[in-house]
Amino acid sequence: MAFPRNAEKDRIMTGLILNGAIKRYGEVQVIHGIDLTIDHGEFCVFVGPSGCGKSTLLRMIAGLEETSDGTIHIGARDVTQLDPAERGVSMVFQTYALYPHMTVAENMGFGLKMNGVPRAEIKQKVSEAARILKLDEYLSRKPKALSGGQRQRVAIGRAIVRGPEVFLFDEPLSNLDAELRVEMRVEIARLHQEIGATMIYVTHDQVEAMTLADKIVVLRAGRIEQVGAPLDLYRDPDNKFVAGFIGSPSMNFLDGQIEGEGKVAVPALSRSISVPASLCSGTGAVTVGLRPEHLELDQSGSDAVVELTEALGGVSYAHLVCAGGEKMIVEERGDHRTRVGDRVAVRFDPARAMLFDAKTEARLR
Amino acid sequence: MFPRPIEKSTPAARVAYKTLLPVALLFWLLPLLAVAVFSVKPDADFTSGNYWGWPSSFEALNNYGKVFFASDMPRYLLNSVLITVPTVIGAVALSTMTGFALGIYKFRGNLLIFFMFIAGNFVPFQILMVPVRDLTLEMGLYNTKTGLVLFHIAFQTGFCTLFMRNFIRALPFELIEAARVEGVSEIRIFRYVVLPLMRPAIAALSVLIFTFIWNDYFWAVVLTQGAESQPVTAGITSFNAQYRAAYHLMSAGSIVAALPPVLMFFLMQRHFIAGLTLGAVK
Repeated sequence: MAFPRNAEKDRIMTGLILNGAIKRYGEVQVIHGIDLTIDHGEFCVFVGPSGCGKSTLLRMIAGLEETSDGTIHIGARDVTQLDPAERGVSMVFQTYALYPHMTVAENMGFGLKMNGVPRAEIKQKVSEAARILKLDEYLSRKPKALSGGQRQRVAIGRAIVRGPEVFLFDEPLSNLDAELRVEMRVEIARLHQEIGATMIYVTHDQVEAMTLADKIVVLRAGRIEQVGAPLDLYRDPDNKFVAGFIGSPSMNFLDGQIEGEGKVAVPALSRSISVPASLCSGTGAVTVGLRPEHLELDQSGSDAVVELTEALGGVSYAHLVCAGGEKMIVEERGDHRTRVGDRVAVRFDPARAMLFDAKTEARLR
Repeated sequence: MFPRPIEKSTPAARVAYKTLLPVALLFWLLPLLAVAVFSVKPDADFTSGNYWGWPSSFEALNNYGKVFFASDMPRYLLNSVLITVPTVIGAVALSTMTGFALGIYKFRGNLLIFFMFIAGNFVPFQILMVPVRDLTLEMGLYNTKTGLVLFHIAFQTGFCTLFMRNFIRALPFELIEAARVEGVSEIRIFRYVVLPLMRPAIAALSVLIFTFIWNDYFWAVVLTQGAESQPVTAGITSFNAQYRAAYHLMSAGSIVAALPPVLMFFLMQRHFIAGLTLGAVK
């Protein structure tokens, strides 16, 4: 495809910059000043619980929601006030939003046709997209004759044919069943490698976020909690929310009490742990975070009782109830796994524990 | 299961059901049957008082022939077509557009305008009789088909808008958003995305409005007189001369006049497709 010169230049640097983006509905502010830079070709995932504003933010980038304040740049262009069509973005909707009265080929070519692209060029682009998405056989079918996964591929195909600078995905896999979701997740990752465009992807599923993203943006209540590469967020979360959100099963949180320099009492496990002295001094309440995969069980103690086990094959998850009623999840591997009703001791390397301020929930480090 | 299937009730109830149903049906259809029978009776049966008995001779050809070839009926039928078809087209075309505007766009006063469309339906049209007649007189539209069409369109668009707006609201809004992101202009979204999906609504509404307008008697009498502009519903009464009523011809005329809405229904039937938006979402 030949692009005019400056468009080509624009294309090379089509990152995305949000600067203090705010969204208000009347008096109610739902997005509170988002500052974010997404590099060209990056796969960026917005993740957060429902109602955190991730879809709204995506729709602001698409131009489907007005930006109340702040600016949005795509490449070098300020697109804050532009119509969706002028922003050079393509969007894939959770519900696919296929035109039911058109065939697959017509669905994919509709936008081009409406914008006066010559018929031969449309045909070539549609068949190119169909090849990438393995939809060749279905081009003359109507959406109702397709399966969920095929419909989703058509929706993606419709986004591809326009050759956009930025792809936007709004929870594209949440209507699919589990098996197809895994399959499509791989396809989307492959697609990103193949076409290399900037992609922004919204999901509430942290597994999708971890597996797809170059960069994860964790959102809560209209604010960014943390931005970073998947493993950075996993290893080094800034606060309790991110720590609990990234990683599956979630991090265990136990109440702790600072007992002086470098000592934290964990009543649930009836012991104290030593932590770097710089982390805590004086007194005060903290939250101790322990990932299920960093804990080990042995039968020689009675810190907790196994309430439930989930055997997934390679790993099992033991759900424990501690003496004080606190609940924990522990990952187990290997041949010896606990059974329901077992009394167990919980062992871990104190260096793995993360401390959070009990009030502000900020990470202590 | 509710209602309980009749096969599962007691034998007595079943017998009662099976005998009473045809009787009720007969009662229900009696006026229609009477008109049908009247339409094939000779004139003499009415003068000799044989109203409800067996026809003394079958004069179907004669009666219907007279209706078509020896009266103003064809003229009236043509008037009806020339009044009904433009009204249906006008009201449906306008209401798809108003419905699109009210169903898709969020703007101040949207609901207020919508309620005004609905409120129009609650005005009893009888109280408009005199003002509307005066208005058409002043505009020089009294006793013209154009006047009747314009008035019908104005009056029907309110209801049609209610119908269309609610139908459009039920379409998946993502379809419109998807088209917007693809750079399709609003008018083309209307033409190529929304309009094709409204086919069932347009078909249903067309049949409904066709029947309304074709069967209208009130406004036909109020706003028109004479064979040059009156539709068939009003025209049938012209078989009543000053001194005698030609019941057999009126009946034949009524049957003829009643057929087009029925025909319309069967013609449009194939457009009543449920689930046209199947496959759009999910």
